[in-house]
Amino acid sequence: MTVWKYEKSHEIFIRTIVLCFVFVFISLILLGRLFYLQILQGERFMALAEKNRTAVRLTMPERGKIYDRNGVILADNRKVFQAVLVKELTKDYKKTVENFKKIVPLTEEEEDRILKEAKFKRAFMPVQVKDNLTKEEVVLLHLNAPVLEGIQIEETMIRTYPKKDLTAHILGYVSLLNDRDTDVDSTWFDLAGYRIGRTGLEQSFESILRGKPGYKKTEVNAMGRTVSLMDQEKAVSGEDLHLTIDTRLQKIATDAMGNEAGTVIVANVQNGEILTFVSTPTYDPNIFLSSISQKNWNQLMNNQKKPLQNKALFGAYSPGSIFKLVVGLAGLENGIIDPNKRVYCSGVTQLGNQKFHCWKKGGHGALTLQEALRHSCDVYFYEMAQKIGWEKIIATAKKLGFGQIVDTEMNGDKEGLLPSPDWKFKARKDEWRMGDTLNLSIGQGFLLTTPLQLLRAVAAIANDGRLPDLHFVKKEVLKQSEEPLFNQSYLRLIRAGMYDVVNHEKGTAYNSRFNLNGMKMAGKTATTQVRRISLKEREEGIKKQKDMVWESRDHALFAAYAPTDKPKYAVIVVVEHGGGGSSAAAPVASKVLKEALRLDLEDAKIKSGVSAK
Amino acid sequence: MSFFKDRNCYMKNYNLSFKEKWMGFNWQLLFFVCFVVCISLGILYSVGGGHWSPWASKQAVRFVISLCVLIFVAFCNLRLFMKYAYWIYGVTLLMLFGVELFGHIGMGAQRWLNLGVVNLQPSECMKIALVLALARYFHGASLDDIRSMKFIIPPLLMMGIPVLLILKQPDLGTAMMLVFEGAAIFFLVGVQLWKFFLVFIMAAGAMPIVWAHLHDYQKKRVLTFLNPERDPLGAGYHITQSKITLGSGGFWGKGFMQGTQSRLSFIPEKQTDFIFTVLAEEFGLFGSLILYALYMIIIFYGVIIALKCTNFFGKILALGLTVNFALYVFINMGMVMGLMPVVGVPLPLMSYGGTAMLTLFIGFGLIECVAINKEMVIGRLGSIDDE
Repeated sequence: MTVWKYEKSHEIFIRTIVLCFVFVFISLILLGRLFYLQILQGERFMALAEKNRTAVRLTMPERGKIYDRNGVILADNRKVFQAVLVKELTKDYKKTVENFKKIVPLTEEEEDRILKEAKFKRAFMPVQVKDNLTKEEVVLLHLNAPVLEGIQIEETMIRTYPKKDLTAHILGYVSLLNDRDTDVDSTWFDLAGYRIGRTGLEQSFESILRGKPGYKKTEVNAMGRTVSLMDQEKAVSGEDLHLTIDTRLQKIATDAMGNEAGTVIVANVQNGEILTFVSTPTYDPNIFLSSISQKNWNQLMNNQKKPLQNKALFGAYSPGSIFKLVVGLAGLENGIIDPNKRVYCSGVTQLGNQKFHCWKKGGHGALTLQEALRHSCDVYFYEMAQKIGWEKIIATAKKLGFGQIVDTEMNGDKEGLLPSPDWKFKARKDEWRMGDTLNLSIGQGFLLTTPLQLLRAVAAIANDGRLPDLHFVKKEVLKQSEEPLFNQSYLRLIRAGMYDVVNHEKGTAYNSRFNLNGMKMAGKTATTQVRRISLKEREEGIKKQKDMVWESRDHALFAAYAPTDKPKYAVIVVVEHGGGGSSAAAPVASKVLKEALRLDLEDAKIKSGVSAK
Repeated sequence: MSFFKDRNCYMKNYNLSFKEKWMGFNWQLLFFVCFVVCISLGILYSVGGGHWSPWASKQAVRFVISLCVLIFVAFCNLRLFMKYAYWIYGVTLLMLFGVELFGHIGMGAQRWLNLGVVNLQPSECMKIALVLALARYFHGASLDDIRSMKFIIPPLLMMGIPVLLILKQPDLGTAMMLVFEGAAIFFLVGVQLWKFFLVFIMAAGAMPIVWAHLHDYQKKRVLTFLNPERDPLGAGYHITQSKITLGSGGFWGKGFMQGTQSRLSFIPEKQTDFIFTVLAEEFGLFGSLILYALYMIIIFYGVIIALKCTNFFGKILALGLTVNFALYVFINMGMVMGLMPVVGVPLPLMSYGGTAMLTLFIGFGLIECVAINKEMVIGRLGSIDDE
């Protein structure tokens, strides 16, 4: 072998060995990497692979239905088609929404919501684009599927309120979640088209009504197509609610209010069941379920009678003369009022250099407590209040539940306001004067009460001094009433005054009396000033309410119960800017109570007929 | 060294009988090659969702054909390849030009040449042709020749021209393999190391120019490789899913046909470039190690055959082809493990594909031919008498 060949052979041999070492080195890197991926990171990648192949879709639970006391359905669910957007199934979801808009119009707010939701939701979670689709829209969307990447049409349930505006303020409404719902569990955000209760019972019973979402775990391939069903749990429907509301009476009360703004609440004084809960004007909650048009919305918002406001719940009014019942009771309780002693009303009470007028020019003459209530004489109570003092009046008011939340099942109730020197000093930087006590005695001034508080107080007076537990949902076991809060003889005196208000020919609400098979109504009127009557106006003679602009007319209130011998129902009527309590509020209360009693008789007749058969 | 103990016998008559060829054939190497192909058929069966079609059955047919070609090549006279090395290279180069002019476009790149009956990828053939040509070139060269600057220029051109043509197709993976293959041969025959460093520095300097001429999709691939999260749903998706598939196999794997990632199409090109991930998912680190060991055994046999061969042509040919095979393995595995950009290099003997299989088997045929003719004396110009 020649030398060059040997040298070359040797060189190749050495270099081959070097190359083999390079191979070993590369192998170490590759095997190390393999070990890292499969062993060290194995579990993480296993989880990722699992996540890859499974898609969890939540399924919507059916929202609990709501029925009235006679089984009439008030809130139902209806099957509709909805379009959802699944972001991971499209390259450009914004373009999809853009194309969608050309086929099914979307409002600007809807588009904003969709884009916002799609941006923040996880890519596989569906975002509702539009529900309540018509058949034509569904067909159009199917036909245009190629340009609607990521859009899926699915069946879902939508809330519907068959009684429309009649029950709006009781039930409230539901609407889609938005980014302000920070306290809502994230599960619900993952449900496309889930609507949460916003007001009324829909809101306060949300956790009972909504049920529990189910899920469907499916195996999907890389294109997102479902390959097989792996696991599923059915959604649990929400519980149904059976209310104490009587839709027939609700309708009668709403109709009785006519075009007036205000509230009518009827409750059973014995067990606290609320039969009627009217706030007028009202609105159709179904409009919140379709995309509410801006025009509709503006109409609702700009209406001076505020249809969206639940006046039965959120309203706070001066109780006016209705508060005289409280003052009378306070006087009796503390031994200051002698029911047989007469007090002279000259039409005015002089306090220092301040004059406090009775509503009746010239005065009522000498009156007992019962007569004072009958005529709603202001001077009688001015005189008495000076003797009783604010402290005892407020104490009795507290016993009757004023200044405290009426714990119905609806959220958002107000406390109202029971004024005191402390309060006045804090709020007004001023000291309590006797004038304030006098104003308090006729339910004017700082005092604010809610319709529910007034109703409860009247119900307590009618129900032998027991505060009823006002509620909307039928209960199996009713809360036992506590011991009477007041001496029965005092209550009888107050009730006698209330009886006279309606049934005595001089009573302020005599025109609203009724007699249904011997059943009569007792009540108390109130007319509360919305603005102060100036001295000039008083001198010129009080203007007729009709001549004033609507916003400055007096509020008309009437609280009543019936039947008088064995009280069953209590009612509070507030007619905002309605003028006089006797002319605007009492007729409504009268009609509603009479109908309530009449319906009772009818129902009893049907029942006995059924049982006879 | 035992490899060289027969070196004085080079004067033997080299027209070997069939029996001698049969005896000289390295059956173990063929066994391991066939073993890997059988694993491949199993995985293709799994990838096909438990069906022989569309991949496993076709690949099996190609396997049988390729096996025949391997045996035919192995039983040829090695001198024949020496004699026609430049011709083979020349024809392949012409075909590459042909692709440039008449080739049809498949998968976004112009790689295929339709020769009437068969669709051929000349770039694949070039991997063998280049080794043949370089082996022929360096066969008779002395170390002094090799170390001279002038001598090294023609083989550089031999490598450079096809590389440029293939880059233009564009096929980054094959071009890269050819460069590595050529460089390995230059290194093995004894080109000084400083020349490699020089080229390396020049190449680094040329990087910005090359970058400017890269296609957008190539740039994207490189960028995505550097940061897969850059584009999780686009190009980075492949790398990410590939890693998930590999990693989720764990040690024992999910079991045959139980790979969710492959079954549900989360990995792209699961039957070709990413087939290793399927194996790794279904058989875990355990299966991966077995396959890797098989590859190393095959490479080991290639190296041993090369070292045992007494003529330089055979030595360089066997080494070059073994390096070519090893490069396939390393680049593909590095690619699917996220250590390299996705450049489209299949896993040898495993990936579905006809041309790659055929060229690999021709390569092994040539290695077997070297094994059979390990003691053949080949003159500087290809004859016995020309010493």
